[in-house]
Amino acid sequence: MTEPVITARAFFERARAGQLTAVRCGSCGELAIPPRELCPACHARAWQPVPLVGEGTITSFTVIRVAPRAHAADAPYAIAVVKLQEGVSILGRIVDIPLDKVAVGLPVRFRPLGAQDQTSIGFGPLG
Amino acid sequence: MRRVAVIGVGVTKFGLHDRTSAELFADAAGDALTDAGIAASAVQALYYGNVVGGETEHQLHTGPQAASVLGIPSVPTTRFETACASSHAAFRHAVMEIGAGVSDVILVGGAERVLNVSTAESTEYFAYASDAVWEQPLGLTFPGVFALIARAHMEKYGTTEAQMAAVAVKNHRHGALNPKAQFQKQITIDQVLRSAYVADPLKLLDCCPFSDGGAAVVLASEEVARRHRKPVWVLASAAASDWMLLGDKRDLARVPATERAAAAAYRQAGLGPTDVDVVELHDCFTIAEIVATEGLGLFEPGAGGRAAETGLTSLGGEVPVNPSGGLKAKGHPIGATGAAQIAEIVTQLRGEAGPRQVDGARTGLTHTLGGNTATVLVSLFGRD
Repeated sequence: MTEPVITARAFFERARAGQLTAVRCGSCGELAIPPRELCPACHARAWQPVPLVGEGTITSFTVIRVAPRAHAADAPYAIAVVKLQEGVSILGRIVDIPLDKVAVGLPVRFRPLGAQDQTSIGFGPLG
Repeated sequence: MRRVAVIGVGVTKFGLHDRTSAELFADAAGDALTDAGIAASAVQALYYGNVVGGETEHQLHTGPQAASVLGIPSVPTTRFETACASSHAAFRHAVMEIGAGVSDVILVGGAERVLNVSTAESTEYFAYASDAVWEQPLGLTFPGVFALIARAHMEKYGTTEAQMAAVAVKNHRHGALNPKAQFQKQITIDQVLRSAYVADPLKLLDCCPFSDGGAAVVLASEEVARRHRKPVWVLASAAASDWMLLGDKRDLARVPATERAAAAAYRQAGLGPTDVDVVELHDCFTIAEIVATEGLGLFEPGAGGRAAETGLTSLGGEVPVNPSGGLKAKGHPIGATGAAQIAEIVTQLRGEAGPRQVDGARTGLTHTLGGNTATVLVSLFGRD
């Protein structure tokens, strides 16, 4: 047994402090976010955590208008797949950008979102 | 592997029911056994699909629950859960068990009940099929997943909202010919385009409904099947998976699990996409049908929207897709859907589909997708 390089809990602790973290494979160099046990490219178990700049562009997005119960008060809200400048992608909630300005190709910056003691991944305007 | 046949099918009407999912399954299973002309005592196993029974009915252990309500409590039974592909996964397991010579007759089916809870509740429960740590906390919904796929497809290939609407119109036209369908009325492109956005760019009429319903099929070895009328042969049954997280999917405009499951199924059967006469595929949203017709090789990547718009997938077209009305019009009781699609293809290959019959259909395909495209099952069927 080996200690995990970075657990989901540790990922979100760093995220809460404003730092988006990926893992890089010490064997083949593959970058992954979020962390996982084995490298999907070479199946090695040799990850190192790497801080990301937190900037990227929207590759797809939607505006959720019919929301699950827990998010009903937030609707409508935008969710997007963001391709980070290091090349990996992650899903996040778009904040502080008018819904009609959200677009594919729009540059965004990571921002931790907090609700009910839970940190989740958000992206806001770059500027 | 021994040859395996479907010898009986049964499906309840889909829509609002005042019955438990186990009752709905049992109703369909009784019809399937009658259709097969086989005694319940011949059934050696039950494999069962049910997804949100724990949430909407406070019912787990749904395999033996379903067997007990049907009245065959002593057969070995297991519940399969692969989100919306659950009863198709159960089917593949039964095909392998009969193929391997372990059993000769297996009942496969599924059921779901969700219309006893509010839309906000069922929206939340369906979202459980996305990752609970990384995606659910963002407020991602099921329509949201396919909206992200739709946007990517529109960006990459120029697919339009009108092309997506054409899928809904076509499936409602087919559903109007199916007395078991939840919606048996035609709609227009204009009605789809004017319906309210649920998750942009998907509108209400791009989405399949929430449904209650049950479905069942009886599988048998060749030796048993030969004693029954019109066996429909299982030519292949394949499964594939893909990353759970949307951020991990390299190209949101394609569904690799569909491409992998289709390739495996065509290889097993020694067939290709041009051999397929009729298709029941997973149109939980209109964009899902477009992407599936591409992933199954029926059309080139990016050509699925145009194919729907020009009628290639309509009854009477080049390759009729979802003659039952599909999930869009027939309804989508998620645990039952895979078995219901198989029941439709068997009915088509027997030539018993009435006004929605695809003339001369000899080879059929079913495609069922689980949740966020992380599970796909594809099976192929043929007749003597």
